[in-house]
Amino acid sequence: MFAPLQHHTHVSLRGSRVVRRRDFLKASAAGGLAASALSWTDVLAARADELRDRGMACILLWMSGGPSQFETFSPKPGHANGGETKAIDTSVAGIQIADNLPHMAKVANELAIIRSMTSKEGNHQRATYLLHHGYLPMASVKHPTLGANVADQIGNAASELPSFVQIGGRLPNSGGGGFLGVDYDPLIIQSATKPPQNTTPSAEANRFARRMRLLESMQGDFAAMGGAQVVADQQKVAKRATDMIHSPKMEVFDIEREPAAVREAYGSGEFAAGCLMARRLVEQGVTFVEVHSRGWDTHQDNFNSVRNLCGNVDQPGARLIADLKERGMLDRTLVIWMGEFGRTPQINPRGGRDHFPKAFNVALAGGGVRGGQVIGATSDSGTEVTDRPVTIPDLFRSVYHTLGIDPEYENMSGGGRPIKIVDGGEVVEELFS
Amino acid sequence: MQRFRSTLVAILAGTLAVATVAHAGPRQESPAVAKQVDASLAAELFASQTEVAPQCDDATFLRRVWLDVVGDIPAPEHVIAFSLDPSPDKRERLVRELLADPQYGVNWARYWRDVIFYRRIEDRALIASNALEADLSQQLNENVPWDKIAAGFITATGDVRDNGSTAIIMAQEGRTEETTAEVARIFLGVQIQCAQCHDHPYDRWKRGQFHELAAFFPRIGVRPVRTPTSRSFQVVASDRQLRIAKNDDGNRPTPEHFMPDLEDPSAKGTQMQPKFFLTSAKLDVGTPDAKRREMLSKYLTRNEWFAVAAVNRMWSELVGAGFYEPVDDVGPDRTARAPKTMEILSQGFRDSDYDVKWLIETIAATDAYQRQSRPRETEADHIPFAANVPQPLRADQLYNALLSALDLPETTPNRPGRGGAGGGFRQQQRDPRTQFNLTFGFDPSEPRETISGSIPQSLAMMNSAQVAGGLRANRGVLSGLLEEINDNDEMFTELYLRTLSRQPTEDELARAGAYLDEVGNRKQAIEDLAWVLVNSAEFRHRR
Repeated sequence: MFAPLQHHTHVSLRGSRVVRRRDFLKASAAGGLAASALSWTDVLAARADELRDRGMACILLWMSGGPSQFETFSPKPGHANGGETKAIDTSVAGIQIADNLPHMAKVANELAIIRSMTSKEGNHQRATYLLHHGYLPMASVKHPTLGANVADQIGNAASELPSFVQIGGRLPNSGGGGFLGVDYDPLIIQSATKPPQNTTPSAEANRFARRMRLLESMQGDFAAMGGAQVVADQQKVAKRATDMIHSPKMEVFDIEREPAAVREAYGSGEFAAGCLMARRLVEQGVTFVEVHSRGWDTHQDNFNSVRNLCGNVDQPGARLIADLKERGMLDRTLVIWMGEFGRTPQINPRGGRDHFPKAFNVALAGGGVRGGQVIGATSDSGTEVTDRPVTIPDLFRSVYHTLGIDPEYENMSGGGRPIKIVDGGEVVEELFS
Repeated sequence: MQRFRSTLVAILAGTLAVATVAHAGPRQESPAVAKQVDASLAAELFASQTEVAPQCDDATFLRRVWLDVVGDIPAPEHVIAFSLDPSPDKRERLVRELLADPQYGVNWARYWRDVIFYRRIEDRALIASNALEADLSQQLNENVPWDKIAAGFITATGDVRDNGSTAIIMAQEGRTEETTAEVARIFLGVQIQCAQCHDHPYDRWKRGQFHELAAFFPRIGVRPVRTPTSRSFQVVASDRQLRIAKNDDGNRPTPEHFMPDLEDPSAKGTQMQPKFFLTSAKLDVGTPDAKRREMLSKYLTRNEWFAVAAVNRMWSELVGAGFYEPVDDVGPDRTARAPKTMEILSQGFRDSDYDVKWLIETIAATDAYQRQSRPRETEADHIPFAANVPQPLRADQLYNALLSALDLPETTPNRPGRGGAGGGFRQQQRDPRTQFNLTFGFDPSEPRETISGSIPQSLAMMNSAQVAGGLRANRGVLSGLLEEINDNDEMFTELYLRTLSRQPTEDELARAGAYLDEVGNRKQAIEDLAWVLVNSAEFRHRR
């Protein structure tokens, strides 16, 4: 447990511009650079710039509708509330997950499973907002979503590709750039099996270039009549858009370019295609990718439904983690598997489970998170968190820390009001220890 | 008896408060007020006439006023006819004609739809947007006075797909405090919500005053309506203590509003008496919902800031900058640029009994509106209103301009979107206009200089099937034009008239001609030129 802490401290003190927080400076001076004098958060803050330079990335696998914890990472086979779902062994001795996730079981050594997530928000819309922003929705502040903050903080603005991509269509309440502006809205891909919207140039390359030259030469009149700045801005955006669609990196959106064996390893279906595209995007320097799986709102026929849904996401998700590992990318890529809340321990008369934010689960892998562990626990009946509750701000703070982003950083909202990236909460230290 | 007397006192107090605020004088004529406005601006702001931009030409005026009033661009015939019309009053006449066009109501209803729904708490509120658009279009076209429209929003109940006036409450999920904040922001231009949690840092409002205002709205709520054929929501009001306790959501009716105890959030807090912060008009605790909201709508619409808020927004949209900025931040603690001018217009608007068409007609008749555009100035020391400003088109204006320029029909699957089957939320979201708005829309209350173009917008204009497909030489508008018009300059002129509503300059004709020679293929060159015009910054702005 002590070794990685020392390692981080060592790295952060060697770096030339690692220090961003005043309390870190104070701690260093007082403690005479002794690692033991540094608090945990100081070390994380010091890591930030180093991680930024390493090209950290994040892939969010979003289970829209609220995935059942009992049928995924928190089975309760010994209790009536567990229903018919069985628990299976994983690659880590002592950790069992639901039999719906045999592929995930094989990569459990990379997974940190938090079984003690807890929130009060049981409404899809508000919970989707909460689990994307770390904040509840407000009329007066348009918070940037997780992906937008990450793109703003550590995205590569010079890249021809956007920093934030959402695969699987627009998801209500999942947010966008908010007060950071449209530059931080996600590029939305309807389906990973097709090229993104409007990226096929409307004319072949020479003609397109010719058109762009004509466009540039024809804007003089408006520029002279009060539109100079507007014309300059528009030319800039048009150029970025043009550069993107003509970039060789656009191939990244074509998963057909992967060898057949690689594609097969991810399995079939939209979500599998999305996971494969996410890996390709991160490989090409995209900072945040969100892949949507829909239909987890299993108010009826929960057991069959979740079995099928897991069938769509289990192999692709597990393969994504293994693939990142094999390519040496897992250390700098945080993978998050989650939805907006969990489901009731009680099985309702229609064989379904209803909304349950009080105790649910989230799985993390990569990005420096220590795999092969379970954090927190619920009672045998699954109704209560009995150990180590983790709140939504705790989770968000941990995610930003992992990515080298200071959660205390204050953005200015449109109304000139400073808004922290995360308000409250504490880093879940076990994730890294 | 005791109870009766206290209610009577409250009503009397309310009436007194109503009576003490700005009273309306006789209606003033638009041209006369426009003249006063210009004279007052000159006196307040301009040291000499040389600072102000000259009057814009007819073609610029025509496109500007079409976009501003009806949200669309004129056809080439309109441009030619207007330019050739020798009558001296043609600009005033044009404004009146456009105000009489049903598209006027549609255009401004969409503006207010964006004002309201960009501040929605949840996306599901959008289910109410079609009804809002339909109902408000009709009210604006019938020229229902602005105070009546505001009262409609404040007092609304019913199915959100049947009654568009429920939009503000639906967008705020029927939450007491959020609805309060939005009503104050939209109709008074006062940002009192900052006082929700603490005394306002820059204003006189105290936390208690926000919660006294909120006490007009505790008895409202929003609840889902599910029938076998439709899913909707209903804005409800109740004067009975509901058996279900108000949960954290805060969107069920409760009899009274309580200001939370900041020291102890789990405590019930302090019960608040409904009291209007600008005049101290108040009602008794226990007053029924209908009375609360009706009286609030009276206090609010008879207050001086009600006219100022509307005038400031309209002036800002039309002239390009507000007397106060941002447009929804006015009030006694803000200083207007040109305060006397602002008051002349506001008084005129009150005297017209809140006639919105009068307001637009008056602003459009000012020299300030009719000046050429200059870049939006951001330095603090620049002189405001010395020129108009190039305004980025709102998504609906741009969509209309594209349809008009390319002769494309508007596909209208289930546009009305009223209750019953069809026109559901998902279907509504698939509507091409809605899709376009998702890419190009912005919150019209945000300062316009913060609105920047995005890559998806550029991509849609450059490559989308709708735009690129509408620009093929072998079909649609270009195929007809290529067949009819043989002369190249005439062809270029036609394209300019269609897209930018003006004739090309000599320089532009020369460039277009040179381009055609370079390409050596007439059809291709014309396709390219049309593509360039539609993708120009000028097309996406009104100058």
